[in-house]
Amino acid sequence: MAVLEIRDLVSGYGEVQILWGVSLALQEQKLTCLVGGNGVGKTSMLRTVMGLVRPWSGSVWFEGKDVSRLPAHAKAEMGLTLVPEGRQLFTDMSVEENLEMGATNRRARPKAGRNLERVYAMFPRLKERLGQKAGTLSGGEQQMLAVGRGIMSDPTVLMVDELSLGLSPVLTLQLFESMRQLRDSGITVLLVEQNVHMALAISDYGYVLSEGKVGREGPARQLIKDEHIRSAYLGL
Amino acid sequence: MQQFNLLLASLPDGILLGFVYGLAAMGLTLIWGVMNVINLAHGPIIALGMFSTFFVYSKLGLNPYLGVVPIALLGLLFGILIYAVAVHRVINAPHLSSLLATFSVNMIIIGLGTAALTTSPYNVDFFAGSLQLGSTTLLGTRLIAAFVTLLFTGGLYFFLYRTRPGKHIRAVANNRAAAELMGIPSTRILALSFGLGTMLAAVSGALIATFFPFNILSGGGYELKSFVIGVLGGLGNPIGALFGGLILGMLEGIIPAFLETSWVPVIEFGLFVAILLVRPNGLFGAKK
Repeated sequence: MAVLEIRDLVSGYGEVQILWGVSLALQEQKLTCLVGGNGVGKTSMLRTVMGLVRPWSGSVWFEGKDVSRLPAHAKAEMGLTLVPEGRQLFTDMSVEENLEMGATNRRARPKAGRNLERVYAMFPRLKERLGQKAGTLSGGEQQMLAVGRGIMSDPTVLMVDELSLGLSPVLTLQLFESMRQLRDSGITVLLVEQNVHMALAISDYGYVLSEGKVGREGPARQLIKDEHIRSAYLGL
Repeated sequence: MQQFNLLLASLPDGILLGFVYGLAAMGLTLIWGVMNVINLAHGPIIALGMFSTFFVYSKLGLNPYLGVVPIALLGLLFGILIYAVAVHRVINAPHLSSLLATFSVNMIIIGLGTAALTTSPYNVDFFAGSLQLGSTTLLGTRLIAAFVTLLFTGGLYFFLYRTRPGKHIRAVANNRAAAELMGIPSTRILALSFGLGTMLAAVSGALIATFFPFNILSGGGYELKSFVIGVLGGLGNPIGALFGGLILGMLEGIIPAFLETSWVPVIEFGLFVAILLVRPNGLFGAKK
């Protein structure tokens, strides 16, 4: 059974329609990616799934329940977490407080200690910066903190928007590797990426979004060999 | 020499008054900092705080300071009510909408207050002793008010930095969408913040009531001072507001020793404009 299923999702801002019926399903404990170029609606889709943007039609199912109309905080409470594009940290608060805010929901609170150890093990650098204001971290550290904050919410499904944005290739590799670790630890991960090649290379399954709809889908290993994708996104 | 004596008499008085100004401004600046709403009902809420003290002292015959905690709780609940009825519906609308919404609340309170209480002055004639320091006399009511202000400031600081709901307030102030994504129910947090801001305003009114005669319109002056203080201390920085209040109180203690008292507002608002021009983030830094 798919742990998160999106059916025919349609939404937009004001009069402008962005999503034209997106459907996708995340298999439990798999690493799935949604790739596509700039402006095809990837971030809008995530915002609609979380409830920051109201869906015009279609539905979102999480663990078998229709959550389409729930506010974002209620979804976070259930275990559906988004690491938003541009990190969106609490820049005026310390690294430690940011992590603490991640563990807001009632499920995550008792597990905060264990999750904190996971975050430190994954990103030791954060442990050295606990008292520092989040806004003063480097770009890579900020992205680590954003992911760490997401882990603190003890997610069943972790959706990550543009993990690699603005990061050096070395850091990108490290963060992608941490996504695999999260999957291996039992979290279902959705990576939403412009970095098509790397995302497909580490994922189990892939979706290609173009013009507000899912164009192609399949096991990532096959998509990466797909002629159309190679020419459209990989420049091969 | 005569000016010096005048200064010795008026400066401590001004500083003690400044504490209470700071408390009022803290309420205004907290609400602005968390939700970018200018609460134009700030003044009438201060006035309601004054009348609450009048009620406690003159109608119930109790010590006016026994009213502070109940007034604080009522202020909190009243603020949450104002948020739910008037502010929440316009929280995502342009600033003009929230200005009009809180201005409406302002007009409603003043209208009802004028009908029920008239605009003739009320007075809480309470004497809490005085402290003689050389040629300077410190009034007990002002010392107690300053002390209560420090308690509330400390309490607010502790709440914002050491408790979960307080940290949630700071998170929502910092990035509301991210807070929502982390499972923080931002609407409830906004309502709580508005309640706290209203609480601080009501308590400041409750304390000021023992200083001067007042009517339902008396909060207006303190609302204006709160704007000046908020800008001095950095809008959105509640702790900075206390220092802003002290600076304003000090000015009010110093200026009358050298100039006519009528110059006080001229200098205060001149300062307001100057700060906005030179240091728009306030002397102590503001929320960006």
